[in-house]
Amino acid sequence: MSQTHSRAGSIRSWLRQPGLYVANRIERLSDTQFVYLMLLPVFALLGAMAFWPLIRTFVLSLHADNLLGSGVGQFVGLENYIRIFTGEAILRRPLLNLDQLFISAIPVTLIFTVVAVVIETILGFGMALILNDEFRGRRWARLALLLPWAVPIVIQGMIFYLMFTPSVGFITEPLHSLGLISSSPLSNSQDALFITIAADIWKQSAFMALLILAGLQSIDRNLYDVAKISGASKLQQFRTITFPLVLPALIVALLFRSIAALKVYGTIETISNCNTVPSVSCLVVSMWNVNRVASAAAIAFVVAAMIGVLLLVYFAAFRKQSAAGGL
Amino acid sequence: MSTETDRNVVQRAAKRGIENPELVYRGVKYAALGFFVLMSLFPLYWLLVLALTPNTEISNIFLLPNGFNPGAFVTIFTRRPFHLYVLNSIIIASLTTVIILVLGSLAGYVFGRYDFRGRTALMLVVLVISYFPPVAFLIPLFQLFTGNASLFGLPFPEIYNTPWGIVMPLSALLMPLVIFILSTFYSQIPDGLEDAARIEGSTRLGALYRVIVPLSAPGVATAGILSFIIVYNEFFFSYLMVSGDVNNWAPVLHGIFQFQGSQMVFYNWMAAASLVGIIPMAILVIAGQEKIVSGLTQGALKE
Repeated sequence: MSQTHSRAGSIRSWLRQPGLYVANRIERLSDTQFVYLMLLPVFALLGAMAFWPLIRTFVLSLHADNLLGSGVGQFVGLENYIRIFTGEAILRRPLLNLDQLFISAIPVTLIFTVVAVVIETILGFGMALILNDEFRGRRWARLALLLPWAVPIVIQGMIFYLMFTPSVGFITEPLHSLGLISSSPLSNSQDALFITIAADIWKQSAFMALLILAGLQSIDRNLYDVAKISGASKLQQFRTITFPLVLPALIVALLFRSIAALKVYGTIETISNCNTVPSVSCLVVSMWNVNRVASAAAIAFVVAAMIGVLLLVYFAAFRKQSAAGGL
Repeated sequence: MSTETDRNVVQRAAKRGIENPELVYRGVKYAALGFFVLMSLFPLYWLLVLALTPNTEISNIFLLPNGFNPGAFVTIFTRRPFHLYVLNSIIIASLTTVIILVLGSLAGYVFGRYDFRGRTALMLVVLVISYFPPVAFLIPLFQLFTGNASLFGLPFPEIYNTPWGIVMPLSALLMPLVIFILSTFYSQIPDGLEDAARIEGSTRLGALYRVIVPLSAPGVATAGILSFIIVYNEFFFSYLMVSGDVNNWAPVLHGIFQFQGSQMVFYNWMAAASLVGIIPMAILVIAGQEKIVSGLTQGALKE
């Protein structure tokens, strides 16, 4: 009788403080067990939402397209990849056709990435140099420059869509009369690509500036005092102190922006469309929309491979640079 | 000095510049600053001009509105429920931020403060996710969320057209950035403070939530603000994981697009909605400028 009573009591207290019970159980774990328990939720989420989809996308890419039903057809190994690169596969837009540079996916993506990132670096460096100086209203200036970065992609795209829509915006007519763009630039592949690049530059230059600014602020101010005493001009100071010391931050910023630029999709979809400006990511979605799941999956890994190549180049170059720094 | 008075303004400025290069440098600096500020803010000002112009009067809009019709800012709420799209976005961004901060805190805590076997390897496994493009996750996740695939044989709820269809993938893909920021902040808390809490009888989790997290409040705020902004601004999953109906949790993105699709295109509504859609972000940037700057820089330093 008394035993059941006490058991009931312990259950009641357990129900009252389940949190405490769990906390005590967790507390009795060894450090190693505790560490893995803490990582479990994150890895469960990453497993389901990141690793599983990556593996399954790869598996899908090893099958044939199944145009009639859902899902994919039979297992064909690496055939999709081979057919994509030999140009045998009929895609919504060619992946690499140098005769049609502005509607073939890899050139479009590379032109977008290189042009946008180079100009963003130059503008960002300029912004960072200015923001690195003390002046009245610096906080407000930084705020103004940072604002475009916080504008949603769809609204960024909408601004440039409206500006370049003939008769709405003021830009199309003068640029057209100068012969720089066609009369309806948003449906012309080459013009639309460069408008997309302009939109990216508007939004992302400030991001570049912030990363470069962080590099500038880590430079020892005494170096400039020494330079001034030895009579170095502003330009000489920039060449011998600022540029070499900010270079590591600059390279990281370049890598970051390049990776993001290689993934471009939303800006294109808002300003123009995926048929006019087919980036590689765009091509994946276009193929998926016409139910060619396996081809879409294979092209998704083409984007991943382009980022992989970029990372390899970066690490090779970075190792050389750090070796040179050691000398 | 007297000879200077009979020279013209340009010559005098040039002479001053040669005598004092600092002055030229400052002149160039303010000119460049003016250019950058104009470049950043002009498109937003132009959007306002467009929004204030009555739709029938829209043609080659440049510096001033053609007529004056602030009504567009009311119409987008009365004729179309734009505020509901904004609300959906805010709910989606808040849910993601909470999930990311709670789970990311646990992982950031052990990555930042414990030395265990496989630490570096596991951290790399987390970071590698951020290099993959969203399209590499899209197809399986879409199949899973629409009930056309199962996860290791387990049933998975159909979360297409719910906030979770956007929240779940984005929580995973933002995790590397958040874990990195939080583990950096958590690792900077002196061991002595945590030890003192443990001696007082606090558990490891108690120490995390009563000592480590409060002391790293700036870091947690940084990670939270950044996550919120990134999710609100995101395009890919926000576009593809809901059908676009406002009752099916469509975010701001679809709210903007719905103005494009109708038979008669109202450019002034599109401009007004775009401006309203920016407001939550503008508030966050004004309030959290320092946090955003430090978070972005830190996130980049993980390389």
